[in-house]
Amino acid sequence: MKIEWMKAPTGRRNFLKGATALGAAAAMPMGWAGTAFAQDDGVLRVRAYGDAPNMDPAHSVGVVEEEIHAAIYNKLIQYKPGSEWGWQLDAASMIEQVDPTHIKFALRDDIGFTNGHGAMTAEDVKFSFERIVAEATESPNKPDMGPLSHVEVTGEREGTIVLNEPFAPLWSIALPYITGNIVSKAAVEATGGRIGSDPVAESGPYLRASWSPKEKTVLQRNPNWKGDAPAWDTIEVYPIDDENTAEIAFEAGELDLTRVSLGSVARYRGGVPNGGTLVENPSLFYVWLGMNLDHPKLQNQKLRQAIQHAIDVPTILEASYFGAADPSTGIIAPGLAGNRAQGLVAPQANIEKAMALLAESGETNVSLTLDILNKTTYTTMAQVIQAMLAQIGITLEINVLESGAFWASGENEDLQLVLNRFSMAPDPSYATAWFTTEQAGIWNWERFRNDEFDKLHAAASAETDNAERAAMYQRAQDLMEESGAYRFITHEATPVVHSSRVVPALRPDGLSLLRYFGKA
Amino acid sequence: MFNFALRRFALAALILFVAVTLMFLMIRAVPGDPVQIMLGPRATPELQARLTAELALDQPIWRQLVIFYGNMMQGDLGTDVFSGRSVTQIVFQQLPFTLELIFASILWSAALGIGLGAYAAAHPNTLIDRSVAVLSVSFVAAPAFVVALLSLLLFAVQLQWFPAIGVGDGFWERLDHLVLPAFAIGLSWVGYIARLVRASMLEVLGEHHIRTARAFGLSERRIVMVYALRIAVLPVVTVIGVGMGFLLSAAVFAEIVFARPGLGKLVIDSITTRNYPIVMGSVLISTGLFVISTAVADLVNAWLDPRARTST
Repeated sequence: MKIEWMKAPTGRRNFLKGATALGAAAAMPMGWAGTAFAQDDGVLRVRAYGDAPNMDPAHSVGVVEEEIHAAIYNKLIQYKPGSEWGWQLDAASMIEQVDPTHIKFALRDDIGFTNGHGAMTAEDVKFSFERIVAEATESPNKPDMGPLSHVEVTGEREGTIVLNEPFAPLWSIALPYITGNIVSKAAVEATGGRIGSDPVAESGPYLRASWSPKEKTVLQRNPNWKGDAPAWDTIEVYPIDDENTAEIAFEAGELDLTRVSLGSVARYRGGVPNGGTLVENPSLFYVWLGMNLDHPKLQNQKLRQAIQHAIDVPTILEASYFGAADPSTGIIAPGLAGNRAQGLVAPQANIEKAMALLAESGETNVSLTLDILNKTTYTTMAQVIQAMLAQIGITLEINVLESGAFWASGENEDLQLVLNRFSMAPDPSYATAWFTTEQAGIWNWERFRNDEFDKLHAAASAETDNAERAAMYQRAQDLMEESGAYRFITHEATPVVHSSRVVPALRPDGLSLLRYFGKA
Repeated sequence: MFNFALRRFALAALILFVAVTLMFLMIRAVPGDPVQIMLGPRATPELQARLTAELALDQPIWRQLVIFYGNMMQGDLGTDVFSGRSVTQIVFQQLPFTLELIFASILWSAALGIGLGAYAAAHPNTLIDRSVAVLSVSFVAAPAFVVALLSLLLFAVQLQWFPAIGVGDGFWERLDHLVLPAFAIGLSWVGYIARLVRASMLEVLGEHHIRTARAFGLSERRIVMVYALRIAVLPVVTVIGVGMGFLLSAAVFAEIVFARPGLGKLVIDSITTRNYPIVMGSVLISTGLFVISTAVADLVNAWLDPRARTST
């Protein structure tokens, strides 16, 4: 056979000879000398649970990107590492709330942007903050900036943030979190107003040296940084979705820090490999069982209350979180204003009361569905709840949904019971925002509608007296619980392990503040 | 041969069209508003409306399909919703990682599988043959994810011979990072190929031309290695072609367990976030890879064994 279109030196017979040789080669000993993994001093390797493709704070999708942004950009104030929520000065040399709607600031004079974009000025602050709230930017993070009116520039490095109304979350979210990152006006305008997957100008103690999608982000020390020198020359951030993989990588010495699964906490309490340390932080997540108030089967408040009392939260936590998480009293985590010391319904089940409530309700042969996300934790939790409700004669069918379908449940009018878990930023307003009347059928899946709750949510954001504010959020959670539509379960936990050569700098909820990481 | 190749590639194009169209329809049949899932809870209605229009999600499904194929013909697979980067760029950035994993897995499993199969066939019903049979079946039966986890614990955590995660920088580091994932997804193929080669080899060893070669006094080693193995290896070519599809799916979990970038991980992440442009771009490329590899395997088979040209 003659193959005209193939000019390669090998023919059919040669190919067969080659394949034969391949088989023969297999008989050879492997001779592969594996090399032990070596760690370079000066390189900190940490795990993030996702990739960070977006370098624009206006379009950042959350904590994963913020971990990188916080290291390469500056804010007026940054979260302070430690066990209590608070902030410290960053780019600002001074910041002061002069009245409920005016915040004066002055910038340090030693911060400059890369790529020749000069020193950071008050114009950059004005541009960065006003850009977030501008309609044209279409920033999903706009609510974080609340009622920002504008920023008045009063000097090269001085200005005043002007609000339309008082806004307490300014100090807990707007300035120290995603929207507080200051970008270079000149650099962003030069690219047409949008920052993509590459930062156009950086100013922080670290610079993003490279980004390999789905593989790693490399940060390197900014040679022109004039502030306190960061401890590590290089930080490599690995996006690893699977916690078990991250744990194995940590134990193999390839990661210096990772969040670990709650299921592994007991093992690590007995000792962390390679002389590492386990740090157990509370989390801001909140997990609850919700009941759709619009569903015909759940119209009876006594039935809903019977379900609340039939569920034993400690048993759920033992089974699903291996005892590594505590019961919650609401949607606002400990450490934040508005956290309740205790809820209206005790964490422990009260079966007698539940049966009495069910009898009062007059409902018989109750059969309900529970929608959950397809994660082992929720499957276990659902099975425990199923067994508990069976004790009072309620039959529960569990619907396990893939994440896309699950997160669209707001539109599902047939939804009955749902196990849910929301994340939040460290301000109580971030939690209550999803349970207002206008969110019914969107993110308020219980269709909880309560005028008093709505008013409390609106008023508490503008309340600058902390004690008053806390009382408002506590009352708001009472209203949620009284409706019978919620059985609060837990805020989970954030267990983190780190190697012996690292002094981690973590927020109170266990998330990393990379720029402050030290060496042991 | 040319006509055969033409027919085979026409069939490949048809398979690609059907597979991609089915995927296009399936992803749209999954519940959940893709725009809401993509943009998250805090996106403004204006942004949601703009993205809906950009992705043509406000159009009837047939029109969306026409637009997709129209853009595809012009080499435009769209733009990533999150980063604004071109889907083509994103997919082709991930593709090499998956390809190198698949090729490394095929290479070592074919080399060892052919060797074991040939050796067992040359020594039928001996202890070695039986040992190879037991080993082969064990390899086939061992779930790849179990092999992956055990090899990680042994070779990465305990012995620290190989890295556990990532892909490394530079040729040698990349090779080093390939060892464990390629081992995990290639192991079952060793057993499969060994069984295949053994059976095929035994059949060939009973044929007339082998008997003739023996009558001419050629050494048994030469008969096995040169005359028998080159024919017995033919089915492996076809199996490897079809195996590309299986290896692509195996690569998905390997990429997750070993925290490697790659097409599989990209598809999973994109389906979860309903990032339609990336899902379709990745599916198009991975389906294309599978279809092309099976077509090439058929062509190679036809080239090596002229009888195969008339059978398709």
